[in-house]
Amino acid sequence: MNVRIITNNRMVADRFKDSYTVELYDISYRDILIKARDCIHEGYRLLSHPLSGSVKPNETPYKSLLISKEKKSLDLDSLRIIEGAIATCDKFGQNRFRLTESICEDFMIIDLSLISGALSESTKV
Amino acid sequence: MSKIKIVHYINQFFAQIGGEEMADYKPEVREGIVGPGAAFMAAFGDEAEIVATVICGDSYFNENVEEAKKTVIDMVKKYNPDLFIAGPAFNAGRYGVACGTIADAVKTELGIPVLTGMYEENPGADMFKAKVYMVATKNSAAGMRDAVGKMAPLALKLARKEKIGASCEEGYMPNGIRVNFFEEKRGSARAVDMLLKKLAGKPFTTEFPMPAFDRVAPNPAVKDMAHAKVALVTSGGIVPKGNPDHIESSSASHYGKYDIEGVMDLTAETYETAHGGYDPVYANEDSDRVLPVDVLRDMEKEGKIGSLHRYFYTTVGNGTAVKSAKAFAAEYAQELKADGVDCVILTST
Amino acid sequence: MKLTLGYVNIHDIQLSNESKVANGVLYVNPDDITKLVLEDEHLKSASVDVARPGESVRITPVKDVIEPRVKVEGKGGIFPGVINKVDTVGSGKTLVLKGAAVVTTGRIVGFQEGIIDMTGVGAQYTPFSKTNNLVLTCEPVDGLQKHQHEEAVRLAGLKTAAFIGELARNVSPDSEETFETFGLFEGAEKMPNLPKVGYVQMLQSQGLMHDTYVYGVDAKKTLSTIIDPLETMDGAIISGNCVSACDKNTTYHHLNNPVIADLLAQHGKTLNFAAMIITNENVYLADKERSSNWSQKLAKFLGLDGVIISQEGFGNPDTDLIMNCRKIEEAGVKTVIVTDEYAGQDGSSQSLADAHELANAVVTGGNANQVITLPKLDKVIGHLEFVDRIAGGWDKNTNEDGSITIELQAITGATNELGFNKLSAR
Repeated sequence: MNVRIITNNRMVADRFKDSYTVELYDISYRDILIKARDCIHEGYRLLSHPLSGSVKPNETPYKSLLISKEKKSLDLDSLRIIEGAIATCDKFGQNRFRLTESICEDFMIIDLSLISGALSESTKV
Repeated sequence: MSKIKIVHYINQFFAQIGGEEMADYKPEVREGIVGPGAAFMAAFGDEAEIVATVICGDSYFNENVEEAKKTVIDMVKKYNPDLFIAGPAFNAGRYGVACGTIADAVKTELGIPVLTGMYEENPGADMFKAKVYMVATKNSAAGMRDAVGKMAPLALKLARKEKIGASCEEGYMPNGIRVNFFEEKRGSARAVDMLLKKLAGKPFTTEFPMPAFDRVAPNPAVKDMAHAKVALVTSGGIVPKGNPDHIESSSASHYGKYDIEGVMDLTAETYETAHGGYDPVYANEDSDRVLPVDVLRDMEKEGKIGSLHRYFYTTVGNGTAVKSAKAFAAEYAQELKADGVDCVILTST
Repeated sequence: MKLTLGYVNIHDIQLSNESKVANGVLYVNPDDITKLVLEDEHLKSASVDVARPGESVRITPVKDVIEPRVKVEGKGGIFPGVINKVDTVGSGKTLVLKGAAVVTTGRIVGFQEGIIDMTGVGAQYTPFSKTNNLVLTCEPVDGLQKHQHEEAVRLAGLKTAAFIGELARNVSPDSEETFETFGLFEGAEKMPNLPKVGYVQMLQSQGLMHDTYVYGVDAKKTLSTIIDPLETMDGAIISGNCVSACDKNTTYHHLNNPVIADLLAQHGKTLNFAAMIITNENVYLADKERSSNWSQKLAKFLGLDGVIISQEGFGNPDTDLIMNCRKIEEAGVKTVIVTDEYAGQDGSSQSLADAHELANAVVTGGNANQVITLPKLDKVIGHLEFVDRIAGGWDKNTNEDGSITIELQAITGATNELGFNKLSAR
């Protein structure tokens, strides 16, 4: 499939590493968006919405995104959407949640479910 | 609570000193009210008092901004007021810019609440409505009663440091700060009303104006600048002294094309700005600040660019409709292409 | 279609030995409810409580709010495809227990969503401070997967609402209202001079805790389609959405969709409410393109003059909203969109994550980032042991006097994007 997954969620990496190209980074939610923006500047297309999920960017630390494997000329829709997402992320500011291990796990599960939906995978998580 | 103390700022015209011929009038402070202050005092009743009125000529203010600001602030400071009111300026452009400038300066320097008022299309409105509370007034002084009726209650609220409601409740111009409030009807009913108006071709007001933007895909970078022909285009209103084509200071209806063959530097004697939406002093002193002919001539000499195109194109961006601006560009872009221009430097204000 | 709603006004709920509706009071035997709910092997325990308007009670975290209804005439039963058979509903007669609601609570994930305060400043912002609420708290069996847990609590709420609705089956309603919709041609013939108006409802459809079901089908697996607005009054659309409390549409909202109500109020007078289109808000960008293409095609195909488009949720759906609006406008159909804003705590940030100049008629439900302080209330139903994990709250947001400082986004229904409330912003 012409998709690669950019994520900071190890649950997503574990689930999809055998069936998709997965890039797992130990970086923040915002840095995942920046990484996607850099890819878009290079000519890759954004395939999933960066603000997937109603959980706010200053609440969940996890984000998984789908990017095309194929590189073409700059896709302006992708750029508009990622720039809007980064601006939204900055508007919410620093994470204010006190995160425990179990909350982190819940956020990972939700992020996994959102990206699974985008991959037309089972959402049974 | 003791009576709220207010200092009021007005121009030479509203102080009944004179019109355009007295616009150079230097700042003067008088105890108590002058001119429109009376209407404010009537509206305030026992709540507040205008303790002093500062009068300043519009030309003087706009041509000596820093000095005027300093003098006026010192005058205001002496009275240690709870609030500063400037205007209302209605549709008087330079008065509006002065009101906005001084209100913003007083707010920043003295840390007291400020209020001004003017017509929505006054150039001062766009410049300052996001910085200071500004009431939308009618377009002439005949609207004084209406203006005071809106400004006085908001002034009292500001002076008492009360919570300021949404723009549509309080009468100030939308300032980009979104404020919640309870409408009379629920959202769905408002949506149905709005749709019926839209369908009938009647005017309606959106509750959230979309941010204005126009997407332009950037061209690939110019590979060889050393041989490129570079043109200058500006919306900053730079024109030959005297503005021969009468480009309007706002809502421009046309653009100008001027020959700069042999012109090495734009000087105060030869060029000026027609723009009415920003402080023209620095642009008039040296128009290269907006349209950098001097720097490009240097680069031409140094071989950094191939050449500077013989003509520059100019218009005034102040309130000019996007549609007009697009039409101008569509026209002169063809000429630029025909003239073999490789790239354009677009400057604003 | 023709549907009569019979309103049985409920002004109090009492826990009692016998479940019944009498003289405007809903009596509930908690054992009836727990027995019904615990038929689901995924739930370990359930408890029932009552919260009335004006009481010093806070309910949190709220999962769903459901209005009890019962179908007494016509085809099918309430919540078709989920609680009852998938018969097409929306005609005949349905009784509504007006003034009553079933509220489900229970912690599905560790962070919390949704506050209903029955008194104080918070009560002004949630419509459910005005209903008599039967609050159902469910606990899952150990080790239950999240999606099963969510489903179990969702079904528990629907079953309870259906059970309570059934109690009113033989009660004669206090008032009645009849709605009628027509086929496209018949409607155009009856109202030749009125503009043909449609409603495009965007349904939350992103994944776990972000789903909506139409006749039991997961909305993210659907193409945009048409539905009769009267079907929604019998529970054709239900909520599986637990996130973004302020702008999620609970099942109560779907049953009482205000856009539908206000369009029906003008139906035959100033407009012809000709059709309703439902579409989704998927995460995959190609799905967004497809779904919005489809709603555009339908709007055009149905010959509509104008539509109202409503949204659900934060961020991702802004893109669907703008796509739907732009494409439908480009098809020559006028639009008004209903949304809410995230303009930052000081109101100065850009409100939406996407924008287009064709979206020139916007109704807003207000800025969800507005900060408010909720007083300490005497009783909490649900869980409030970790107030710093309320969405829209933050670390150390509990004040010394026991009050909590949060953003409006934590309050259930506060900035609803169907236009359910009077709250707005400028």
